[in-house]
Amino acid sequence: MSEPIVRVRDLHKSFTRGTEAIHVLRDLTLDVGTAEFLALMGPSGSGKTTLLNLIAGLDTPTGGTITVGDSVISSMSESELARWRTRHVGFVFQFYYLLPVLTAYENVELPLLLLPLTKEQRRKQVETALDLVGLADRMDHRPGQLSGGQQQRVGIARAMVTDPVLIVADEPTGDLDTKSADEILRLMEILRSQLGKTIIMVTHDPKAAARAQRVLHLEKGQLVRDTMTGIGFNAAVV
Amino acid sequence: MFGLPPEATGMGYDTSMLQLVGYLFGGLVSVIAGAIVLGLLTLPVFFAVLWVADKTAAALANATGWFPLKVVVIMFRGLRRSMLRTSLTYLAIFVLTLVLCLIYAVLYLIAAVTTEKEANFKAIVTHKTTIPSQMPPGYYERFRTACLEELPPGMRPVNGDKDIMSWAFFLGTTDKVNPRKDTLAFLFALEPDKVLTMMDGLDELTGEEKDLLDQACKRMTANPRSIVMSSSRMKGMNVQVGQTIKMASLNYPNLTFEFDIIGTLPEGKYEGIGFMNKEYLLKQIDSYERDRIANPKGEKHPMAEKCVNLIWVKLPTREAFERLSAIVNDGKFGTVPIKLETASSGIGSWLTAYKDIFKGIKYLLVPAMIGIMSLVVANALSISVRERRTEMAVLKVLGFQPRHVLLLVLGEALLVGMLGGGMSALLAWGMLGNFKFQIAFLGGFFVPVNALIYGPALGMAVSFAGSLFPALSAKDVKVAEVFAKVA
Repeated sequence: MSEPIVRVRDLHKSFTRGTEAIHVLRDLTLDVGTAEFLALMGPSGSGKTTLLNLIAGLDTPTGGTITVGDSVISSMSESELARWRTRHVGFVFQFYYLLPVLTAYENVELPLLLLPLTKEQRRKQVETALDLVGLADRMDHRPGQLSGGQQQRVGIARAMVTDPVLIVADEPTGDLDTKSADEILRLMEILRSQLGKTIIMVTHDPKAAARAQRVLHLEKGQLVRDTMTGIGFNAAVV
Repeated sequence: MFGLPPEATGMGYDTSMLQLVGYLFGGLVSVIAGAIVLGLLTLPVFFAVLWVADKTAAALANATGWFPLKVVVIMFRGLRRSMLRTSLTYLAIFVLTLVLCLIYAVLYLIAAVTTEKEANFKAIVTHKTTIPSQMPPGYYERFRTACLEELPPGMRPVNGDKDIMSWAFFLGTTDKVNPRKDTLAFLFALEPDKVLTMMDGLDELTGEEKDLLDQACKRMTANPRSIVMSSSRMKGMNVQVGQTIKMASLNYPNLTFEFDIIGTLPEGKYEGIGFMNKEYLLKQIDSYERDRIANPKGEKHPMAEKCVNLIWVKLPTREAFERLSAIVNDGKFGTVPIKLETASSGIGSWLTAYKDIFKGIKYLLVPAMIGIMSLVVANALSISVRERRTEMAVLKVLGFQPRHVLLLVLGEALLVGMLGGGMSALLAWGMLGNFKFQIAFLGGFFVPVNALIYGPALGMAVSFAGSLFPALSAKDVKVAEVFAKVA
C-alpha cells in the first residue's frame, strides 16, 4: 500500500439511547493509502456510515484517533473541523443534495466561497470541475432541470472543486440506474487514477464495490474482512 | 341588547360600553381584513421587487465576487423556494405594519395636540360644567376686553383682536321634514377675517390654497350669508360652489338660513364640515324676536344666551395664560361659570373619556399584534427550517460555519421583514397622504414620514423575533444525525 493518508487507531464510537449505550464502532484500526479507492460494505447498522462520517470530520469519536494527512481530526472542535473539511475533503451523497435554487455552476462554486480565491480563480476551478464531469454545457441549469446521473456528476464536481486529498462517497450510485451508476464509478476511477484522489465509498452494491481497489467489510462495528480486488495496484492488507 | 338603557336590559350596567367595544372590535377586524386584501393585492409587487433585488444582488456578486453578496443571493433564492410560505410571512408583516402605522398616526396626532407649547400657544374658554359648552355672546366681548385691556401690555395677544375668535356650532338640514345624512351640514360659525390666523392647519397654508381661502373669507365678510365647505361634504349633500341652499337649523330651533356656497375648504383640512359667518347666525337669532309667525309672543330665542360654544385666544407666554386665567376665574368676571385651559389640555380633557381605550391600544393591542405576527412568522420559518435541515447540514458539510447557517436563515427573514414592512409603511404613508381623514376638530390624521424608517425596522424586528429560534435550531443542526436519519 502507498503511504497512508488516513490513519485510524483504536476508534470507538458509542451513542446513548435513554439509559442504554449503543456501541456503533469498537476499537477499529485502519489505514487508507494515498490515491486508494476503498469501498466500505456491511449490513445496515454495521457502522460503515458512522466510520465514513468520522473519517470525513462530520462527527467526533468517543475514543481513539483519526489522522488525515498531518491533521489529527479526532481532537478538532466543530468550527476547526468545518474549516478543515472545506480544504481537505469532498463529499458525494446518495441523494446528491444540490441546492435546488442554485444553478449547477453556483452549486459547484459553493465550497469555493469559503476560500480566499479571486472571482477569476473560482470561475476557472468551477469550469474545470464541470468540464471534467462532462457538464460544461449545463452549468446554468438548475438541479430540477438535470437527470439523476447529471445531478450526481454535479455533486462530484462540487466534491472535487476545492482539490481535496480525500473524497468520501455515501452510496453514490444507490439512487441511479445501471448506466448512470457506471458513469459515476468511472468518474471516481478517473479521480483516483488521474488526479490522485483518495476515495472512500460506502456501498451495498457488490458490483460497485468491485470497482474499488479494496473492500472492507464491517459487522457490528468491527472490521471483519479486508479484501483486495486486484484493480489498480497490488496492495497489502493492514 | 346594545344601545338599550341598563334598566331595560336588567343587567345593571351601561351597555353602551359594550356597544363601544363592539364597534372598536368590528373596526379593528375591518381594518385587518382591509389590510389583508391590500397585502394580497401587493403580493405581485413584492415578488417583482424581490426578483429585481435578486437579479441586482446576483449581478453585483458576479461582478465583485464578494462572499457576503453571494450569501445574500442564496438568501434571495431561498425566498423563492416556497412562494406560499414567503407570501404568508410577507402578509403577516404587511398587515402588522399597516395596522400599526394607522394606530401610530392616531397616537402621534394625539400626542402632538396634547403636548404643551411654551410660547405662542392657544388657550380655550369653555363653560365650566355644561357639555357641550354654551356661553352668552356677551362673554365673548367681556373676554376680549380682559385680553386686550386688563392684561399687562407685554402679556396681551401679539396681534390684538386678530388673535381672539369664537366658535358657535351650527347643525342644519336642507330637508326639515326628513333630515337624512345627505341633507345635513355641520358648520363652524366664526369670524371669517380670523380664519387664516386662528384655525389649526389653515395657518400653515401657502400659495394658491392660501390665496383662494383668503378671497373666500373676504367674500364671507362682505356677504354674511356666504359659506365655504369641504368638498367631501358638498359631494355628500350633492351641492356645489355657486349654489344657494336653504337650511333649517336643528340646534337653533325655528331658525332658517339661506346660504350661498362660495368656496371649498382645502383638501384634508376640516373634512366633512364648513365655515359660516357668525354675524349671520346672530342676525337670525335677533330676527327671531321680531318673527310674529314663529314667535307670536315676541320672546328672545332660547339659544340667544347660549350661542357661543368656544372662545380661542393666542397668548405670547405661559405667564400671560396664568394671569388671564386668574382674571377669568375671579368671581367678578360674570355669573356664568367658565374655565380657561391651554388648547392642549382642553383637548386632553376632551380625550380623557377615551384614555383607557388609548391605553388599551398602546399597551395591550399593539404588543398582542406584534406577538401574534411574530408567532406567524416563526411558524412559517420553523416549517421552512425543518424542511431544509438536510440542506443546512450539506452547507455545514461543505465547510459553512454554524454562524453562516444562522445568518442565512435570519437573513431570509430579515429581507422579507424589511420589504414587507417597507412596502406596508410606504402604502400607509401614501394612502393617508392622499385620503386624509379627521376626527372632530383634531385636524387631519397622517402617517408621519419617519414611519418609512420605522415600518421596515418593525418588519425586521418582528422577523428577527420570529426567526431567532428557527435560526438557532438550523445553526445547531448535527450533520451526522441528519444524514443518519436520511439514510
